[in-house]
Amino acid sequence: MGRRTATTRTAALLAAMTLSLAACAESDDGGGGGGGGSADETGPIKIGAVLDITGAGASLGVPERQALELLAGQLEEEGGIDGREVELIIEDNQSTEDGAAKAMNKLVNEDEVDIVLGASRTGPSLAMRPIAESTETPMISLAANQAIVEDSEWVFKTAQNDRVVIERMIDYMAEQGWSTIGLARDASGFGEGVAEMFDEIGAEKGISVVATEKFAPDATDFTAQMVNLRDAGADVNVIWGIPPAAGLAQRAYDQLGIETPVMQSHGIGNQVFLDTAGDAAEGMVAPLGRLVVAEQLPEDDPQKEIITSFIDDYTAEYGAGPSTFSGHAYDAWQLAVDALSEEGTDPQAIRDHLESITDFTGISGVFTMTPEDHAGLSKEALALVTVENGQWQLVPDQGD
Amino acid sequence: MTDLLQLLFAGLSQGAVYALVAIGFVAIFTVSGVINLAQGEFAALAGLVAISAVSSGLPLLAAVVLAVVSVALVAVIMERLVIFPVKRMTTLVSLILTLGVSTGLKALMLLVYGPNAEGLTPLTPGGFSVAGVSIRYQELWILLIAGIVSLAVYWFYERTLAGKSLRACAEQPVAARLVGISLTKASLISFLIAGTVGAIAGVLASPIFFTSWESGLTLGLKGFVAATLGGLISVRGAVLGGLLLGVLETLTAGYISTGLRDAVAFLLLIIVLVARPAGIFGRSAEARV
Repeated sequence: MGRRTATTRTAALLAAMTLSLAACAESDDGGGGGGGGSADETGPIKIGAVLDITGAGASLGVPERQALELLAGQLEEEGGIDGREVELIIEDNQSTEDGAAKAMNKLVNEDEVDIVLGASRTGPSLAMRPIAESTETPMISLAANQAIVEDSEWVFKTAQNDRVVIERMIDYMAEQGWSTIGLARDASGFGEGVAEMFDEIGAEKGISVVATEKFAPDATDFTAQMVNLRDAGADVNVIWGIPPAAGLAQRAYDQLGIETPVMQSHGIGNQVFLDTAGDAAEGMVAPLGRLVVAEQLPEDDPQKEIITSFIDDYTAEYGAGPSTFSGHAYDAWQLAVDALSEEGTDPQAIRDHLESITDFTGISGVFTMTPEDHAGLSKEALALVTVENGQWQLVPDQGD
Repeated sequence: MTDLLQLLFAGLSQGAVYALVAIGFVAIFTVSGVINLAQGEFAALAGLVAISAVSSGLPLLAAVVLAVVSVALVAVIMERLVIFPVKRMTTLVSLILTLGVSTGLKALMLLVYGPNAEGLTPLTPGGFSVAGVSIRYQELWILLIAGIVSLAVYWFYERTLAGKSLRACAEQPVAARLVGISLTKASLISFLIAGTVGAIAGVLASPIFFTSWESGLTLGLKGFVAATLGGLISVRGAVLGGLLLGVLETLTAGYISTGLRDAVAFLLLIIVLVARPAGIFGRSAEARV
């Protein structure tokens, strides 16, 4: 009996594989493509998400999950996409690369989703990319490193590229007259290549990195790195990481009494950063999405309306405001829904639609994708933000 | 020079936390030959209980006491449910059993307290600076309390009759029973001590090093390495091992590479196990098989 079941199962699996291969082969016709079970146009539309819900990326993944669940609920109330139900399947990658690859495989092969959102951080996103490319599944990452979408065919992303973030930071540094940078960066994918990019973009303005320190994303003691930064004596120090590590690093910096100004990356746009860094965050400057300073935006800001309504909905549901990370999830969801409602579930059509997105107003900025740029945001998507009395505050002088 | 002192001090306070976790390993192993892999989880659980107690309005000190007491209780229950029923306990069996408990506790913490890392309010917030070395009050608390606790445990095991009879259980189980020492009671007391010490480590470390459902893993591993440096049966060895490990880690991070920080513990473990299996501070005569 047991053996017969196994044989039947293998046969079914083979059949399913053949079917999905066939479906892929004929997906060019634009009408009825899609992988396996979703090939027909009647069943539910499936959106998969791979998020860093536990582990080092938890402070990103949890608000992202909340944003997605909120939006999925809203869409269901509106009656889905063209009357078709939308099913959201969320997987936890435990903030690991192999977890992300495994979850991606499950979503693509078992659940046969139409599009995948995630992961929250760069490393896991990079682990998912080859699977998206080889199975021709549209994927929208929520992470920062430009490497995720470089020369990609099927992968897009919604977090601001580290390149535009660094451009913004370099502009500000040049304005302040700083020319040397001490860098303490995340040792995982998020911080990879950051020092080189600062040097490359800063070269024109005579700004360069004079010292680089690394920390693990789950590190808790930063004394050694900060002591070395202090000794490097740069004009400005940059901490490039995500909370809680970025907040703890900021605290260690402050505790050692280092007076040099600090800048942080766009990886810190949540309450966890403010909580972990505490008073130490006062005066630090970081380029962040406009979400954190929504109330201070001028009325004519094109993003103001959409950001404010997201904040209201999110706060009503969860009792606390959203972070920039939930904003990345919001944008990814809206882009996916836009593509799905315009093009149906044909993967090729979804991909082409995403690539031609123009002036799409989201939480993190106004997106314009091109075949060369699958991230779609420029440095205008970032506002320079500081912390005053434990609150995010727009820097009056935006360094343009 | 300032840098060296700063790194040494950071290393010592980190090391004191390792030392407390290491004492927990020794307290149990020295009585029953059980290696308790859930030792790090005791610390994590205590931190989380204290944090949630404070955020629900309890005064800090009451929260800390509540955390220590409830974790000590968890340790005792664990001993009764998992260790006590096993008739022929070997170190290997204990590893497998306690690994199971550790996984279970982690899952429970994730379920109850969620995935985010948080820090407890420090006993005394703020800090000061001496000769360019900045010191947090919490770090002084860690060193002070770790010192008192280690002395107390050391005194209990080495100087009191009750403590000595506990140790007799491991060295001569049959003889111990012949002279009227209850093995099951001894094991229970050793878990009580380990739970209490682990919990103290957890609440002390939380304000600086933060606590999440999974922070017990690293803490437990480092504590185990520290205990092994001391040969697993010596409280003094465990304390010295913990401090040494903390200092070596910070110095490595400061002067060589921060990436190598976590490798230090395991390099040290391999070297010690190959060269001096009885621990670097133990006399070889103390070696147990």
